[in-house]
Amino acid sequence: MSGAAQGQDSLHEEEALGKAVDGRLIARLWRWVLPYRWQIAATLLLTAPLFLLELAPAWIVKSGLDRVQPDAAPAGADAGPLERLLDPPGAVDALAWLAGLYLLAMAGSAALQFVHTVLMARTGQSAMRDLRRDVYRHIQGLHLGFFDRYPVGRLVTRATNDVENVSEMFSAGIVALVTDVLKMIGFAVVLFLVDARLALVAFLVVPFLAVCAVVFRARIRGAFRLVRVRIARINAMIQESVTGMKVVQLFGREDRNLRDFDALNASHRDAWSQSIRYDAALFAVVEIANGISTAVIVAYGASLVVGGTMTIGTLYVFIDWMRRFFMPLRDLSAKYSVMQSAMASCERIFQLLDTEPAVRDATPAVRAPAPSAPAARAADRRRTGPGRSGEIVFDKVWFAYQGEDWVLRDLSLRVAPGERAALVGATGAGKTSVIKLLARLYEPTRGRILLDGVDLREIPQRELRQRIAMVLQDVFLFSGSVASNIALGRPEVDRAAVERAARMVEAHRIIERLPQGYDSELRERGSDLSAGQRQLLSFARAVAHGGDLLILDEATSSVDAETELLVQRGLHALLAQRTAIVIAHRLSTIQDVDTIHVLHKGRCVESGSHAALLARRGAYWRLHRLQFEQSAPALAAG
Amino acid sequence: MSGAGERAESVAETAPAAPRGLARLLVYLRHNRGTYVLGALLTLGYAASFAAVPMLVGWAIQALEQGLGQAEVIRRCGALAAVTLVRGSLRYGSRTLLFNGARQIEYELRNDLFAHLQRLPQSFFQRWRTGDLMSRCINDLASVRLMLGPGVLSVVQTPILYLFVIGAMVSLNPLLAALVLLPYPAFLWIARAFGRSMHRSNLDVQEGLAALGSQLQETISGIAVVKTYAMEPAASAHFDAANERLFAAQLGLIRVNSAMPAITSMLPAAATWIVLYVGGHMIADGRMSVAEFFTFAMFIYELTFPTFIMGWVFALLQRGRAALQRIDEVLTTQPSIADRPDVVAVPPLRGEIEFRHLSFRYDAGREEALRDLSLHVPAGSVLGIVGPIGAGKTTLAALIPRLLEVPDGQLFLDGVDVNRIPLRTLRSSIAMVPQDGFLFSMSLAENVAYGLPAVDRERVHEAATRAQLAKDVEELPHGWDTLVGERGIMLSGGQRQRTTLARALALRPSILILDDTLSSVDAETEDAIRRELRQVFAGRTVVVVSHRIASVCEADQIAVLEEGRLVASGTHAELLADGGLYARLAQEQALEEELGEALDHAVGEDELRA
Repeated sequence: MSGAAQGQDSLHEEEALGKAVDGRLIARLWRWVLPYRWQIAATLLLTAPLFLLELAPAWIVKSGLDRVQPDAAPAGADAGPLERLLDPPGAVDALAWLAGLYLLAMAGSAALQFVHTVLMARTGQSAMRDLRRDVYRHIQGLHLGFFDRYPVGRLVTRATNDVENVSEMFSAGIVALVTDVLKMIGFAVVLFLVDARLALVAFLVVPFLAVCAVVFRARIRGAFRLVRVRIARINAMIQESVTGMKVVQLFGREDRNLRDFDALNASHRDAWSQSIRYDAALFAVVEIANGISTAVIVAYGASLVVGGTMTIGTLYVFIDWMRRFFMPLRDLSAKYSVMQSAMASCERIFQLLDTEPAVRDATPAVRAPAPSAPAARAADRRRTGPGRSGEIVFDKVWFAYQGEDWVLRDLSLRVAPGERAALVGATGAGKTSVIKLLARLYEPTRGRILLDGVDLREIPQRELRQRIAMVLQDVFLFSGSVASNIALGRPEVDRAAVERAARMVEAHRIIERLPQGYDSELRERGSDLSAGQRQLLSFARAVAHGGDLLILDEATSSVDAETELLVQRGLHALLAQRTAIVIAHRLSTIQDVDTIHVLHKGRCVESGSHAALLARRGAYWRLHRLQFEQSAPALAAG
Repeated sequence: MSGAGERAESVAETAPAAPRGLARLLVYLRHNRGTYVLGALLTLGYAASFAAVPMLVGWAIQALEQGLGQAEVIRRCGALAAVTLVRGSLRYGSRTLLFNGARQIEYELRNDLFAHLQRLPQSFFQRWRTGDLMSRCINDLASVRLMLGPGVLSVVQTPILYLFVIGAMVSLNPLLAALVLLPYPAFLWIARAFGRSMHRSNLDVQEGLAALGSQLQETISGIAVVKTYAMEPAASAHFDAANERLFAAQLGLIRVNSAMPAITSMLPAAATWIVLYVGGHMIADGRMSVAEFFTFAMFIYELTFPTFIMGWVFALLQRGRAALQRIDEVLTTQPSIADRPDVVAVPPLRGEIEFRHLSFRYDAGREEALRDLSLHVPAGSVLGIVGPIGAGKTTLAALIPRLLEVPDGQLFLDGVDVNRIPLRTLRSSIAMVPQDGFLFSMSLAENVAYGLPAVDRERVHEAATRAQLAKDVEELPHGWDTLVGERGIMLSGGQRQRTTLARALALRPSILILDDTLSSVDAETEDAIRRELRQVFAGRTVVVVSHRIASVCEADQIAVLEEGRLVASGTHAELLADGGLYARLAQEQALEEELGEALDHAVGEDELRA
């Protein structure tokens, strides 16, 4: 990779990785956790009994140890109220009693721990399920132009892997971190309460550990970052090579490609080797610290026991509790890593959520401005249903997908209610953009589009699209049955309606011939259907959808003669009784319509009926003459 | 994907026996045996410390108990501290060695996997989804690594440390040892059961994620339909259902993952309970020392963690084996396109192409994509291939550089069976511009120079000029150094196609194959490109695949394909006169093609008049 490429490389969003705890992100995430605040409260409340149950077992053992010492003072003599609590009732053997209590405490602790973990993880997963839902709703609401730029795979990653990473934070990250810190403070406090002198000595190693932790923190952060950056690069390279394998092989780049890959792969391995060292070192340091503190406790504790100011049982308590104090520190680096990637994923998800949908419904305030005459009339008409007549007006529309690359320049045209209009023009004339704007998949850059006198921007998208039946050239089929692909998930379109629609456009016979008829599952999005069959399905889809406006991009692909006939007949049925805009590729279709709009380089250069345009002796006439001369025999044959 | 699996197996039977499954791992383990042997030795030492530390604690307390004096206690505690230091170092050493060893094997295996993928034919990549292959190269490999790192470590360490601890326990107090260890064997069974259900729950979650992902992918791919048909509520409901299923799977995993530590913690609890009750009585009876009590309690503690993770280790091994199998599916697919023993040395190709009764099918079960196709293309001539979508045009083009497996004796270049021409010669003489206009995430210059040994500015410029790309370059933010491809800036469809064309031209091949290459290029530019190509390719062979008649009408010979068959061939005029499919296609397309010209003309006149 060249220097320039390298420089731009670092901008790649999958590689950005920041702090392990970012207050801003966590605050924003809180919105999804809020509905579960009672569960969170319960989880936090549970930590108190859990902590007590963690303290209890060692204390019970201490009590037992102190009672069985041959030279021990009679039970309960010098002991505090805590000790008396453990006294067996009546004639019960003290050891049997204590052993029973011990088992009870452990069982209680296990049960409570189970409830606590499940509750915590469940809360996290619930919040993440909601987040995933919102991410999905957001993606679905974005306008079409967004999908031109954003690779599908990356969007899928946002809703799946990224949300998973964030959810890890609940099971292993921040909640565990908070609980751990609270517990460590708790152990420190109780150890000081039990014996301040011994606690002071036992905690001698802690400052050393703190220094280590600070030193490690900075390094581990860098190491984990490096690892993630490099695995992201490996990912990208595999993806790219697999997608472009044809080119790799055609141009004989296999060896160089492998060398490049080897370099990435090795750098990933080496990044890990650093990470592994820090991780192992941290664990080892904590283990050593724990061991040394045990040695110190025994050494100093022994003198206290000999001096008679402490029992040997207290020694046991100290060893046990110190161990529990050190426990959370061992996998600190793992938790750190989890947090870091959770935060990075969070950031990416929020970035996606911050993408404003470019096409959105007008707020009521905008929709009903001053009661100007046309708007009021339009609103009336919308309310009064029957007034839905389907007049379409493009009023000086300019449009560019990007910057100033105008696809439509000052386009004006009108389609009268009930009229069937054809758009003709060369590739790049802007025909497809016209219909995309009409369905409001994109917004005009300048000018406006009126439907029955109302600006499209003032019509809610749902309302608009329920009126429009659109058939695109490239028929997209969803996995599922033929029937579900016609009904498109609307409950009111039942099987009878599906069949009616299919019959109307001549698709019924073809569907019946499929192995399971309407219930045939479409494999790989209908790759087992011919182009003609797919077109007929999309016609049926449009009929089943209803709506008084038909937008159709006629397919150019050639189909066999039999299907061709069906498609023509289906098309005819489809065009009947609707306001229709058709991007026509066949002369037969054009001759079927009322008005022809000739588009050229984003402008409408001629409009009129077939006869009128011929009479005008303009572009269309010229074209038709050319066509007719050449194809008269073929048309006659068809 | 099962089809791919079956195929892989059938091929593997005929291939020389390559080690598979766990045997395959042995090869890599052997490469790294130094690391693993040393790591195992250090692990052995570390395992011993599980017995040593409790003994030392007991030994120190014994000094206290027997009143040997403070100095002796401190001396013994010093020994404990020293052993702790050694223990920490052993842990550090064994972990770094074994985990790095696993990373090294992961690295080797990933390299091999990648190299293998590069040798596989296009038909393989049409069968397998990119996401699936990536998941095998990343996720499955990670599972294998976990099996080789923490997995191997636990498998080596756990039994040994148990042996050490049991030995120490028995030597101290056989009766108490027997009582304490009583519940442990049962636990082995529990851990395995947990491992299994953990593995299953993990799979459920993975499946849930995959289902959610593929559903999302489909919705996004069909977003135009979703929007225009106001399908949002139905699509949302669909997503929500998948989301809830994933949620349920995750709850299942949570329950298993939480139940395991809860139940596992009862094992040391039971053991300590026995020590407390039985040991307590023994102390009271003077049959056991307090030091021994401490030692036993410490033993139990030391066993807790290795026992605790056993369920996890079982799940890990299970997952690793499943992952290895998935990786094997790729690795056992034989690279069917490679130089064969009967290759012959040929001079650089002149460019004569001959198909002799060529038939081709992608998979044994599928219909023939090409049937009995015979065609002769003299060196230096231009062949046009047209036909409806799915007629086999692209397949035919892809066979020439052997991107697909060509049957023997059916395709000849310069009179030599294409299967006997060394791949290197073949592909360096042929440049193909595939349909999809794929660019790599490199600079524009590097993309154009992709087939050259290094970026040769002069050649890049020349190719770019011929492909009508040069003027676009000036408008890009960093000119030739602009990063393109998925991670770079978005080029327009036409710019991408012209870049891929320049990439092919830079090779200066004897045969140039254009697979519907100029579909997004406007007519004017296409004309200019065609003029350039005529100049460059005087005397070279060009194959032009297109569904546009205009792109092929000037070819010396036009082949018309329909449903895999050659239905007609000849020149534009001959085929038009013929009145068949070609004439029909020509008529259909004339409307649009000629419209543009007519309009240019008409509008031009209008403007003159104005």
